[in-house]
Amino acid sequence: MTDSPQAIDCQEALERLYDYLDGELTAVRTEEVREHLKSCAPCMALSSFESAFLRFLEARTRAQSAPEELKRRILQNTVFDARDR
Amino acid sequence: MSDAKKLSFEEEALPHLDAVYRVALRLSGNEAHAQDLAQETMLKAYRSWSQYREGTNARAWLLTILRNTFINEYRRMRRAGPTVDVTEIEAFTVFHDVQDTDPEGTFFDQLVDEDVLRAIDTLPDEFRETLMLSDIEGLPYAEIASITEVPVGTVKSRLFRARQALQKQLYDYAIEMGYIQKPELAE
Ligand SMILES: [Zn+2]
Repeated sequence: MTDSPQAIDCQEALERLYDYLDGELTAVRTEEVREHLKSCAPCMALSSFESAFLRFLEARTRAQSAPEELKRRILQNTVFDARDR
Repeated sequence: MSDAKKLSFEEEALPHLDAVYRVALRLSGNEAHAQDLAQETMLKAYRSWSQYREGTNARAWLLTILRNTFINEYRRMRRAGPTVDVTEIEAFTVFHDVQDTDPEGTFFDQLVDEDVLRAIDTLPDEFRETLMLSDIEGLPYAEIASITEVPVGTVKSRLFRARQALQKQLYDYAIEMGYIQKPELAE
């Protein structure tokens, strides 16, 4: 097993930041970013800011759902379509 | 269609209608088109439901149908609004501006849903699409890559620029509205 966590610098941490926040890194790469953030206040501050922004974005955009009328129309034209029996 | 097939469509495809509708809304830019687009997507999905392998990813499958329908039939109808330039975007500029005054970005909380959606709509198509699939619908990079037919690396760079451009856009708006001061004006 050569793939054990290595120390990474600020540049490397920032390059991986979104992958890290999006949960797209392997366990080892995640651990490397986490370790860097723990020991580097500026990167940690940036990471918190970006993470808060992503939560904000989700909260402001997920409220919309399909209108009830549209749901009904689709049901009538698909699974409840009598012609299709 | 057999009752079992109908039931599986109802259970596996229909729960994704909200996601289909939200994406349709941001792609088409208006509610009437979004409804037509979402309905057409679900009807196409229903007609080809026998080709769908149960237990695979119904959401990605539906969003792919939606995207193709949009490109083939609706893209020309999209109103041409102003789009922001995402090529000029520098990394993490908003954070650098606010790190001393508002490092947690609490000024964002003053922005309402409409402000955010309007800003998303100014992103160029491929950036808006990528951001939507990731940040509104929560899809993993690989799934977005497959739906938008580009490599994962392209998804990542689009996502990075889209997020940074959107952040800048909302920050500029917050300054305009007086929710936060520009750093040189703050003491
Ligand atoms: Zn650092």
